Amino acid sequence: MSGDNFIHIGGQGKAAYTVYYLSEQAVTMQFGNDINTGTLQRVKRYHALIEANPFPGFYAAVPAYATLSIFYNPVEVMQSPELSGADCINRLTAYLKSLDDVNVAEPSTCGTTVNIPVCYGGKFGPDLSEVAAVNGLSEQQVIQLHNEAVYTVYMIGFVPGFAYLGGMNSLLATPRKQQPRVAVPAGAVGIGGNQTGVYPLATPGGWQLIGQTPLQLFDAASEQPSLLKAGDTVVFKPISADEFNNYLITGNAAAYN
Amino acid sequence: MRLRIIKPGLLSTVQDTGRRLYLSHGVPLSGAMDTLSARLANIALGNNEDDAVIEFTYAGALFIAETSMLIAYAGGGMALVAGDTTLPANRPVYLSAGTQVQCISRPQGCRTYLAVAGGFNVPVILGSRSTCITAGFGGLQGRALQKGDVLDSGAEITFTTRSILNSLQGSTISFTGWSVAAHLLQPADTSRVRVVPAHEFNWFDSRSVIDFLTTPYTLNVSSNRMGCNFDGATIERLIPGEMLSTAVAPGTIQVTGNGRLVLLMTDCQTTGGYPRIAQVAAVDLHLCSQLNPDDSIYFKDITAREAQKLYIELEQQLYKLAVTVKSRFY
Repeated sequence: MSGDNFIHIGGQGKAAYTVYYLSEQAVTMQFGNDINTGTLQRVKRYHALIEANPFPGFYAAVPAYATLSIFYNPVEVMQSPELSGADCINRLTAYLKSLDDVNVAEPSTCGTTVNIPVCYGGKFGPDLSEVAAVNGLSEQQVIQLHNEAVYTVYMIGFVPGFAYLGGMNSLLATPRKQQPRVAVPAGAVGIGGNQTGVYPLATPGGWQLIGQTPLQLFDAASEQPSLLKAGDTVVFKPISADEFNNYLITGNAAAYN
Repeated sequence: MRLRIIKPGLLSTVQDTGRRLYLSHGVPLSGAMDTLSARLANIALGNNEDDAVIEFTYAGALFIAETSMLIAYAGGGMALVAGDTTLPANRPVYLSAGTQVQCISRPQGCRTYLAVAGGFNVPVILGSRSTCITAGFGGLQGRALQKGDVLDSGAEITFTTRSILNSLQGSTISFTGWSVAAHLLQPADTSRVRVVPAHEFNWFDSRSVIDFLTTPYTLNVSSNRMGCNFDGATIERLIPGEMLSTAVAPGTIQVTGNGRLVLLMTDCQTTGGYPRIAQVAAVDLHLCSQLNPDDSIYFKDITAREAQKLYIELEQQLYKLAVTVKSRFY
């Protein structure tokens, strides 16, 4: 018995990927083992290709750092005359190969840039002074280093709407809180180890909180409930407490984007 | 049809077969932990299989039929009792208005599904009526049921459901002589859970893999709708190192840093970073949903192809069952 059974190889050269069994209802395409923007682009391209050219029974594709997992209804996959193969993974592998065909619709994979207004420090970022002290910086330097960087969304996970961001300046890396907070407010911007991110929901959390955004990162009432998606670019923009409060009253996202 | 919750029990939520379309937004699947029982309760009524049901966790809940109702229930851990009548599971039951129904503890199992003719009428959010506890939406106001909650059924019922209702309605509790044969869909040995080796299977040492597939694992009391934590032989790593987070699914068995098994269940996160030793066969996942703390199971390996064959066979059986219920009223 081997965990390697049911691995299929697809693509060629730099475009090579493997396909492995995740469950009866999903396979995972793996594009290497590294976090980098090249891999992100390939994950994103296949995600867009599958959504533009869906197969019978397809219901979702979940991008991650170096993988794209494809979820489907196995009964529809096995009953479809459009797909051929003895089982789902063979049918999916053949389908993925067909996406390399010149005739399939090639989607645009341009990412979106999302500006996220953040009120740093004070009651909005109770750990700003700690992050500054740990790294031998002033609070102003922390704010500047945090908002001058351009971040890339690698994946969404952990809780609805939570984006794993790449691109934080390593000078800001700070260990998590010894004792996680029981409740972190929605919109809190934090640093945990060498990562930064925004809590989309009020949850318990152990990250150092440096600020808060009035933007809603997850809205179950929207057809696109997560504000961010894999491949997007994120820029944090400092705002004052007045602007933060004003935003909550007017809710005018257009003012920032 | 309308019911009112008098006592909610430990954790009672509205669920359907899950929210499949927003996994890439980090939205968990949610839905019934034991989808087989939820679907059986709906099939018994002639409902659509993904109609919303109430998932009760352990006994203790109490509700009242504010109008006459046509219900069915399936699952484990409790029986529904009205006065001194035990309502039989896995078949349509007619309740006259004002009937109080109590959930009475039974050994084996812990989750029971209550279906109503037409399904419970809560709003569809992101393609599902399931309660997403993490983000507080779906089901009834995004939360567990509370004392005083009122739930209505959907106005649209199928021809089959209408026919069942016509055959049972009257002034007293009544139920059909037939039931959906839930026991035929259960494996002979419910303590044996079939698994497919997962992608990181070779990361673990052979002694640990033998332990995994031969020694019992016992459910820890800390388990919930996000995951089942097991006590048992610890799993040692052969290959050290971290893996990049990737999509996981209900049924994924992760091995944590201290060598313990966590079986992800339906409220699990959409991505995870622990190495995965195995994936529970979908046809056996409902067995794990019905485990009580201190219940023990064994894992038995099968191939991915076998798991898929079992999946398709179970779907065919459920389809036939639904057709059989419908055919009684042609």
